Amino acid sequence: MNRVSTKCLCFLAATTWAYSQGLDGSTRANWLHYGGSQAAWRFSALDQVNTANVTGLVPAWLFQTGDYSDGLESTPLAQDGVLYVITPRNQVFALDGATGRLIWQHKPPASRPGRAGGQAYALSRGLALAEGKLFFGSNDNFLVALDQKTGREVWRVGIDDAKQCGCNVTAAPLIVGDKVVLGGTGADAAHRGYLTAFNAATGRLAWRWYVIPGPGEKGHETWKGDSWKFGGGAPWMTGSYDPELKLVYWGTGNASGDFYDGDRNPETDKGKDINLYTASVVALDADTGKLRWYRQEVHDDQWDFDSSYEVVLFDREVRGRMRKLMAHMNKSGLTFVLDRVTGEVVRAFTVPEEQNWITGVTEDGRLIGRRDPEVGKPVDICPSVGGAKSWNSMAYSPRTGFLYAPLLEICNAITANPQEPSEGRFHANGSMSLHLPPNRSTYGHVDAWDPLTGKRAWSVPFKYPLLASILSTAGDLVFTGDPEGNFFALDARNGNKLWSYQTGAGHRGSAISYSVNGRQYIATPTGWQQSLTGGFAASMFPDQTFRVGSTLVVFALPGGAQ
Amino acid sequence: MRLAWFAFASVALASGSLTSAQNLQDVVKQGEQVFNRSCATGYCHGLKGVAAAAPRLAARGFDEAYIENAVSRGLPGTSMAAFSGSLSRSDLRAVITYVANLNGIVYSPAVPSENSNGAGVVLSAEASRGRVLFSDPLRSFGRCSTCHEVNGIGTPVATPIATVPADVQALRGLATPSVRTAILNHEAMPALVLSNGSREIVFYDLTTPPPVRHTAQPDTVMWRDGSNWKHSSVAGSYNDAELNLILAYLRSVVQP
Repeated sequence: MNRVSTKCLCFLAATTWAYSQGLDGSTRANWLHYGGSQAAWRFSALDQVNTANVTGLVPAWLFQTGDYSDGLESTPLAQDGVLYVITPRNQVFALDGATGRLIWQHKPPASRPGRAGGQAYALSRGLALAEGKLFFGSNDNFLVALDQKTGREVWRVGIDDAKQCGCNVTAAPLIVGDKVVLGGTGADAAHRGYLTAFNAATGRLAWRWYVIPGPGEKGHETWKGDSWKFGGGAPWMTGSYDPELKLVYWGTGNASGDFYDGDRNPETDKGKDINLYTASVVALDADTGKLRWYRQEVHDDQWDFDSSYEVVLFDREVRGRMRKLMAHMNKSGLTFVLDRVTGEVVRAFTVPEEQNWITGVTEDGRLIGRRDPEVGKPVDICPSVGGAKSWNSMAYSPRTGFLYAPLLEICNAITANPQEPSEGRFHANGSMSLHLPPNRSTYGHVDAWDPLTGKRAWSVPFKYPLLASILSTAGDLVFTGDPEGNFFALDARNGNKLWSYQTGAGHRGSAISYSVNGRQYIATPTGWQQSLTGGFAASMFPDQTFRVGSTLVVFALPGGAQ
Repeated sequence: MRLAWFAFASVALASGSLTSAQNLQDVVKQGEQVFNRSCATGYCHGLKGVAAAAPRLAARGFDEAYIENAVSRGLPGTSMAAFSGSLSRSDLRAVITYVANLNGIVYSPAVPSENSNGAGVVLSAEASRGRVLFSDPLRSFGRCSTCHEVNGIGTPVATPIATVPADVQALRGLATPSVRTAILNHEAMPALVLSNGSREIVFYDLTTPPPVRHTAQPDTVMWRDGSNWKHSSVAGSYNDAELNLILAYLRSVVQP
């Protein structure tokens, strides 16, 4: 084994990276945002652990949260040697990043009894950090600010009445200048989704942007009758921010009800924008929350193909000109590379291997050959409501220029069934049953995609669906985990598997990298999620038990810290 | 579970409310509608409980006690949520009956019958409209339920409404002597104290809706009596006619 010194962190100069001009979305000693940086690269510039020595990676410490309610889905944050992690039931821990020693623990008061919608999604996925405070959206639908030093609550502010709206927050908030911005759940409920910005210092409301325009607003005409009032679209994951352009980027959820459009679609031409601004990616003014541009990715969604996933911001040369770009992969696996100044489509492509909801997509993003659900009759649709990709994030490397995505191949038979909406109640307008696509033996893969050509550079198949986020590093490594409990490293350049470690429980969270006193650590949450997509995936493999748990497992090269 | 079943059966017998066949049919039908809306949907049990992403419920040999417990309280460690706080009692009773029916059980559990607001009062048309306005989601933070909880809906920032204002003018001009002025981080703000202990003080900053609940060390906050905050400043999303409807609702449900 090629033993390197672990006393120092030997950064490669950023300028030597192939695609490192312009926006720098990488992290170093700290991991301050859900997506690493506000550009959501999930790329660490640390390269102490690299392709040459990754086989020497061993556990440095682990931490059991004790909250085994539904896995550990969050992305830890790291600042100045302290790690912060939140559990599904909103317990927050501050840990010594080098040893795992507990510094403080925040245990929230019991949730007020609420409606099923708010209570069903007790799945906190992360924190935000700014101005000496940690922020999270709670299961009972408050934005809570904790003192970063003590874990004590500083303030909390109600986002909505979970009992009424059937909504809450599972995603990590995003820091946008002096504000905390967060979306919420409720895209599958009779609920009108929104993003809300609060002042990070005072907790006071800064702005709220409704996904669905109200009467008199542009886009309102894309809704039939009163369907806009409870039309879903909730942006339930975390967006990105470009401080130079002062634009906030966010993906929005599906229209509600999910599988039937008869009561919400006023159009006959399904190639047009329908039910704005659901299933879209939007750019909002950071100061005011006003819409600057949008791109609806799935017109008249009837498959539950949210576009609420992460938005990766990067700068690249396109036909001789440097462009400010963003990449956005939605639940269907449809991927848009857009100019993030104007929203213009630079490239569109689609990533699933099993796909029949459309026959394809044009380079400028128009869907070809739709296969829509029908009332009262099951229609086989691939991918499933679990997605070609779940909410777990892809990563970007400025060294290779690739996007790395965890993907799955599951199909479902959807039966549309019109229902009257009832505020805050589940409103799917139908049902589905999942099945594995025939004639294949692998149902997950890690892919590397070139965002500018839309070509897959490499793909590594796995038997089971992959539902953990990707971490990429300047050591040319790509880390993620599988449902069986293996946490592994691939060569970012070619996908070769270089290292693997059995952590003991399934992976449904998001790994990070950070450093303390010159030693690089790789931290991964472990513990399978039994509800929602984790539960769907597990139900496809009744002979397997994807193990639950809630443990942070942290790796490093031996001897580095001493 | 057996114990719960016995307890439940005792209540049913004591109340002497075995459901008639005709009524039962209606209840099952209502239950099916509730089930289709709440339980059969995409992520859950499928139409007629034949299984979708969540397990099959039909013909599982469940007894009523189990069904009642699972529907009302949820199943910890699974996605099965508690519906007792979200379904009306009538819908709860109906859906339990329906799932029982799917499992070959013909008698339904007797849950006390429901009225339109859950507090023993049938609302007038005016009051019903007032109830909707009270927590109207289209008004975002400009609705009453941002600060008042009535019949389980809303956030209880203010203490429970004990006296209903006589008219719209009185509602807008409501005296709020408990709102004081807090000075925190060199900024004065209208504040409502929730608790005042020797180690921490908890209060709401009312500067702009929604109120922000602060938890601070007592020596970090200075206080002045009185404030320039006015109830009318947060009732601005409603016109007089709408406030009259809300008052009609409050008169129906607020117990003096």
